[in-house]
Amino acid sequence: MLMIAGVIVSVILFGIGLLGMIFRRDLIIKLLSLGLVNGSVMLCLVSLGSRANGIAPIIRGPENAGYVNPLPQALVLSAIVINFAILALALVFVMLLVEHYHSTDSQRIEHEIKREREL
Amino acid sequence: MRYRRIGLIVYATILVCCFCGLVIAFFSYQEPTRELGAIYLSRAPSETGAANIVSAIYLNYRLYDTLFEILIFSVAVLGVRFYLSDYREIVEKIPESQIVRTSADLFFPPIFLIGIYLTLSGHLSPGGGFSGGVVAGTALLLCAVALGANTVGKRFHEPVLRWLEWGVLLVVLSLPLLPIVVGRLPFTELLPPGTMGKVISGGSIPIYNLLIGIKVFIGTWVIIHYFMRHRGEV
Amino acid sequence: MIVLLVLLSLLPVLAAFALSRRRRFTAIVGMGLFSLILSAVYLLLHAPDVAVTEAAINAALITFIYIIAIRKTGRLVVVSDEIPGLLHREGEQISGLEQEILSGFARQLGLELVIRFLPVEQIPRALQQGEADIGAGGIISEIDDSRVLKTQGYLPTALYYLSRQTKPHLKQEESAITGFFSDLREEFQAGKTQACTLDLARFVALSRSDLSPYTVRRLDGLFSYIFLIAPARERLHHQFVSYLGKLEEGGELEKLTRRYFS
Repeated sequence: MLMIAGVIVSVILFGIGLLGMIFRRDLIIKLLSLGLVNGSVMLCLVSLGSRANGIAPIIRGPENAGYVNPLPQALVLSAIVINFAILALALVFVMLLVEHYHSTDSQRIEHEIKREREL
Repeated sequence: MRYRRIGLIVYATILVCCFCGLVIAFFSYQEPTRELGAIYLSRAPSETGAANIVSAIYLNYRLYDTLFEILIFSVAVLGVRFYLSDYREIVEKIPESQIVRTSADLFFPPIFLIGIYLTLSGHLSPGGGFSGGVVAGTALLLCAVALGANTVGKRFHEPVLRWLEWGVLLVVLSLPLLPIVVGRLPFTELLPPGTMGKVISGGSIPIYNLLIGIKVFIGTWVIIHYFMRHRGEV
Repeated sequence: MIVLLVLLSLLPVLAAFALSRRRRFTAIVGMGLFSLILSAVYLLLHAPDVAVTEAAINAALITFIYIIAIRKTGRLVVVSDEIPGLLHREGEQISGLEQEILSGFARQLGLELVIRFLPVEQIPRALQQGEADIGAGGIISEIDDSRVLKTQGYLPTALYYLSRQTKPHLKQEESAITGFFSDLREEFQAGKTQACTLDLARFVALSRSDLSPYTVRRLDGLFSYIFLIAPARERLHHQFVSYLGKLEEGGELEKLTRRYFS
């Protein structure tokens, strides 16, 4: 039950992020939408691994069952760090672009690049 | 223009439906991962000696992927350092804010301590090298906001920082190859698992946590320093 | 369980809200809040490792890096004289028709607007020496200076020639304006000015005081207010001209003019 709710919400978030990436012209908002898409996939993975009445996969006492699947959590941990690395580097490029063309509008920047190439 | 918008909406809807289909397919083929998860849950405490099963997975069973993840992080930090390396001297006077300064004085030691705790107890409770390193980096971030990134940056000796960063990376990447010296296959555990729940247990997982924590801490500080230097102080 | 469902249903609402904002800062703060709630959701899904890592990295670090990245890169320095209606101080703030135009332009470029006050005859020299980027303050299009770049006229005006009735033969060239406008206004109120050429805004500002000893003659010709751009900033000139054109097309310029000069 929780699994299905998590998956549905993650699909909705994926859709919102994708639409944000396509329809917003601001470069910073596009990057934020990329992070949102990343977050939605991670939410899907973690919720696929959970179960009803589960316990976090940390062993405290004697062996009792009901642990949540630890494998998706390990994958998501790596995904979070890699997401951060990619976002930091992408922001560097966006900053340099914005400083050069004095606008965060992606269509405007493309227009200026095309004009520079014609000259 | 309107056709373009309609076309984009159709494209986005198709993509979302494909993702839905993928998820549903994955959902119906969920059995193998559940079995694998159960295998890890049953075998990890005795084989690795770590209480945190997630740590045991990504630092023992799947160490190979984690090494490449550290490599990606290092390359990202390298990229940030390279592309923001031209430094124009923007001399701006930071308005001295008493609230920020006092809270930085107050909160820096606890946050840093929490970061170290998260790093070292990664095999016993949630945490690990990545979150511990980032939390410690956030403590430095608080200092940089209060005092100025350049002021805090002068405290570190730049060559030492660079040697430490790349040295730790070298050690982390060559540690799994150490068992060759003893005559076993690489990526095997040399240290004993120990009793679960003690600080010194879990084989070589705490060592990896410490190294990753140091690496991520320095990397986070470098990213913050170069961003603040390039854009002017906060 | 209920808390988890509530938080899960809050997530898409928050994400849609955050990504639909006009201001970038609001979008970034919204996504930071989204990461925090996502971390709480991870905790309720029995994944504490993921929760603490997500909170530390996404909510704290990524939000901070974005905020650093959208900071204003520099300044747009404007030199101007203080003219009521066009660019004047109101307590701590500066307001006026030209200030509205300039602040909209600075916001579009992502720069911070800095206004420095100078007498009008020193403006071209400041622009040429690179101390400022834009010159403003009711500058007439007829200003003859090849050192600076001019924009198109944004507001038509008229020129008035005032002279004391006792000395009507004073030559027009000797009555050009020098010094700050506030000094001129004081001289005028004290009655010390002999003759001067004023544009409409200055004339309106001065007409509060007594004008009876002066003859007012309106000069022929079409004049308009312009801005001056420093000669080294050609691209800025181009951007400003297109910005002014867009303001005129959209009717914004008329709205602003009516607000200040109705």
